[in-house]
Amino acid sequence: MLTKLSVRNMKRSARDYLVYIITLTLVSALMYGFHSLLFWKELKNALEAEDLMSTLLGFATVFIVLIVAWLIHYMVGFILEKRSSEFGIYLLLGMKKQMIARLYMRENILLGVFCFLAGLAPGILFQQVLLSVLYTMVQMEYRLHPAPDGKTIFLSGLCYSGCFLLAFFRCGRRFRRMSIHGLMNAGRQGETVRERYEKGKQILLPISVLFLFWFWHRFERLAGNRQVAFFLIGLVATIYLFYMGLSAWIICYVRKRGNAVYRGQNLFLMRQFAFRIRTMQFTMGTLTALFTLALMGGSIALMLVEYENAVLKEKFPFDIQVYSREPEDDFAAERVLIEEETGAQEVYSYTIYTDGESEINTWMLTHLRDWGRIFYNAQGGPDREKIRNFLDVERVYYPFDTYMGFSDYARLRRLLGYGEVYLGEKEYLVQVKPRLEQEVQGIGEDLLLKDETGNRALVCAGICAEPFSQDGHNGADYLIIVPDPVLERMRPYYAELAAGTEGGQSPGLQKKLEKLTDTSTSDCQDPLDGLCSGSDSFMSFAAVCMVRADLIPRAKYMLASLIIPFFYTGLVFVCVAVTVLSVQQLSESVKYRFRYDVLTKLGVNRSQKHRLILKQLAACYLCPAFLAIIISGKMILYLHRRFVWITGVPVPVGSVFAKSIFLFFSVYLIYFVMVYAGFVRNTENSG
Amino acid sequence: MEHYIRVCDVEKYYGNASNVTKAVDRVSFQVEKGEFMGIMGASGSGKTTLLNLLATIDRVTAGHIYYEETDITELSEDALSEFRRDHLGFVFQEYNLLDTLTLEENIMLALTLQGAKKREIRQSCSRMLKLLKLEDVGDLFPWQVSGGQKQRCACARAMVNRPKLLLADEPTGALDSGSAQTLLDSFADLNHTMDATILMVTHDVFSASYCSRILFLKDGRIFHELIRGGRSRKEFLQKILDVLSLTGGDCPDAD
Repeated sequence: MLTKLSVRNMKRSARDYLVYIITLTLVSALMYGFHSLLFWKELKNALEAEDLMSTLLGFATVFIVLIVAWLIHYMVGFILEKRSSEFGIYLLLGMKKQMIARLYMRENILLGVFCFLAGLAPGILFQQVLLSVLYTMVQMEYRLHPAPDGKTIFLSGLCYSGCFLLAFFRCGRRFRRMSIHGLMNAGRQGETVRERYEKGKQILLPISVLFLFWFWHRFERLAGNRQVAFFLIGLVATIYLFYMGLSAWIICYVRKRGNAVYRGQNLFLMRQFAFRIRTMQFTMGTLTALFTLALMGGSIALMLVEYENAVLKEKFPFDIQVYSREPEDDFAAERVLIEEETGAQEVYSYTIYTDGESEINTWMLTHLRDWGRIFYNAQGGPDREKIRNFLDVERVYYPFDTYMGFSDYARLRRLLGYGEVYLGEKEYLVQVKPRLEQEVQGIGEDLLLKDETGNRALVCAGICAEPFSQDGHNGADYLIIVPDPVLERMRPYYAELAAGTEGGQSPGLQKKLEKLTDTSTSDCQDPLDGLCSGSDSFMSFAAVCMVRADLIPRAKYMLASLIIPFFYTGLVFVCVAVTVLSVQQLSESVKYRFRYDVLTKLGVNRSQKHRLILKQLAACYLCPAFLAIIISGKMILYLHRRFVWITGVPVPVGSVFAKSIFLFFSVYLIYFVMVYAGFVRNTENSG
Repeated sequence: MEHYIRVCDVEKYYGNASNVTKAVDRVSFQVEKGEFMGIMGASGSGKTTLLNLLATIDRVTAGHIYYEETDITELSEDALSEFRRDHLGFVFQEYNLLDTLTLEENIMLALTLQGAKKREIRQSCSRMLKLLKLEDVGDLFPWQVSGGQKQRCACARAMVNRPKLLLADEPTGALDSGSAQTLLDSFADLNHTMDATILMVTHDVFSASYCSRILFLKDGRIFHELIRGGRSRKEFLQKILDVLSLTGGDCPDAD
């Protein structure tokens, strides 16, 4: 009998809380789709990439389980409250509290199982879409293969059950506290608006707004743990107090009878809105926090997408490159292999030179933003001791400055299709990574370099910042280009090979080249064979051999491992938050039915009523979204600045944020339309 | 003489072809301006249905209802909304006040929806609050005041835009006797001072005794009409009881 009752109640809940059901199904589908990537070894093996995806998806899953558990916990409590008179009747009929608790839990578990199973089919579909996107990203072909995977189902089921277990934690307490009288009356009690100390509370709105201004102004200049802690507490308090202040401010405005109160339906709207955010202020605050995190997650993911689009070609400008620490290396074996495999027309080996000094290195370490004042001594000059230790131990810059002859440089530029540059007899050029172009503008004023006779006679002719493979191959961060005669006073530092294949290379060349270089450097402990990678801290691609066609997919996979968990988290956070808001609104629509009935009797016609519902819902939906946009906007600006600083890619923050808001509002809009339609239907069923 | 409200051969059926219920069966009557009219009848006699038809909340199956020259049975949904807003006022047993608005705001709302000017709204509101003795509780929410005060507020809201007709459905149904009497006195005051036309559906003989004319409904038809004329309220109450005893005391309150 109880099972029958559970099933019937579950069916009724499914009807009444359709939005919740849809979200649980969606969560199940998302879990299946994303978790399937953990078991999809084909791609990882093919690309021989690090298993970063599993680690990051694991992290994302922890957050997602927690947030979905919160949603379920919230909904369990919410539905319990709405069905209190029904539970009162069960108690009245002599059912024990424990039995009611079991019945209710059984209903919820049935609902959960139903949603989980319902989510599997769309999950498989989503997995196929996800894999197709991923394969396209890494330039591989994917043949659709929609089939359920046992391991993925098991893991998703485990996480999903985890959400329910966490949600039911201490749920029994609610049942133990039940009384027949309390339950029977709970449904009958109308909404009681309590207005106390509103004048005092309205000050919270300007305080919150001021804090937000302060937040915009000071956020980037916070220093020290105490300031950060104070700021975080302030921000959380602001998010929650903002709603209390806003509600009080509207109440005071209505009570003062401001002019807007006398216009059309404003009085009704203002009171409804104030009342709604007052009763939901804690939920609204939590939703704002979730929306903020979702917007940030989306924006970071989009920044990474932009980075990927902009940087990968930059990272690998040459089709093939091989490094050798032996300056005399003629790359004979590599040449044969490359010619066999690709039929490359231009295979070119050259030498990087050094003068045995660290003048340029010192300048870089004392002038680039990345290093701040780390390498300055107390007198404000370069701390040469520290710099020497750093260069000896860290693999950022080569221990000595790196030079290239102009003839080699010109030839490599031709290979890359760059425009010609000119260099006079007493001039030098600085070739740097595009990210550093602005930062090295002063180098020419600071440094006169030695010519072939050893006199400081070379002046800077300019800065070149085209992508030039400067993660160790053509220097680390920089190369100084000098007239060929100047090289006579220098010693060869290491050898390089660069080739242009015009897209004719065969897959797997990277591996074959690595095998060759492995045998040639087998006596060396260092897999990078002394290669130094430069100051890029976000993504530096240091490898002895670099075959663009093989490495770009690998790099894209690595970036996808970062991008996907961010999207996953953002998407789930938005869905959870908007579900809570939607369920609240829809369940309230039964109460609103009465209110709109009264308005109809007062002469509000159907279309006016629909507009009123639209405005009322829009206000409730936009308020937390608006606040989240303000808060996340600043954080994204900050993150963007850090991102540009670290990566050197001027990602357009406006476009990234706008896209993120667009994605966010697309999900929002779907729920909004569902709720609007449901709300109108509920208020019109009154007859 | 042209009547203020004319109800002509109004019928209202519910159900389907195999099971038709005649809630109102060929009812005709007129209401004069400034009249305080009551409708009495047993449960299921059709009195609330008739009130809903007059209130434009429900549509007639056949017949016509004229408010002066306007036949409301011919109006579109939107026109009916406007008509309701501009010409009718409602008082129901369950008060129908909006719980998120104070009593004063509940009264104001009727005027703001009509698009009245700020000055007019303020004046009308304070006049109604005074008239219905609600000045001290205007700032309170419905849950903070008594049932009688809520019903007087509903009455004030119904009357604030000077409707052609005030429709009251069992207005004293949820009130104690003291509050009921105060409310009925208010109705009588509104009827006299504002020349309000009132149509009240009630079971309660005491409430009905405040009316100037009563229609008795049975099975959807008018079976009797009682006019107060020059009688005192006490005499009229006795008359109503006489009519009800003749019908077998169908009204529960008639015992």
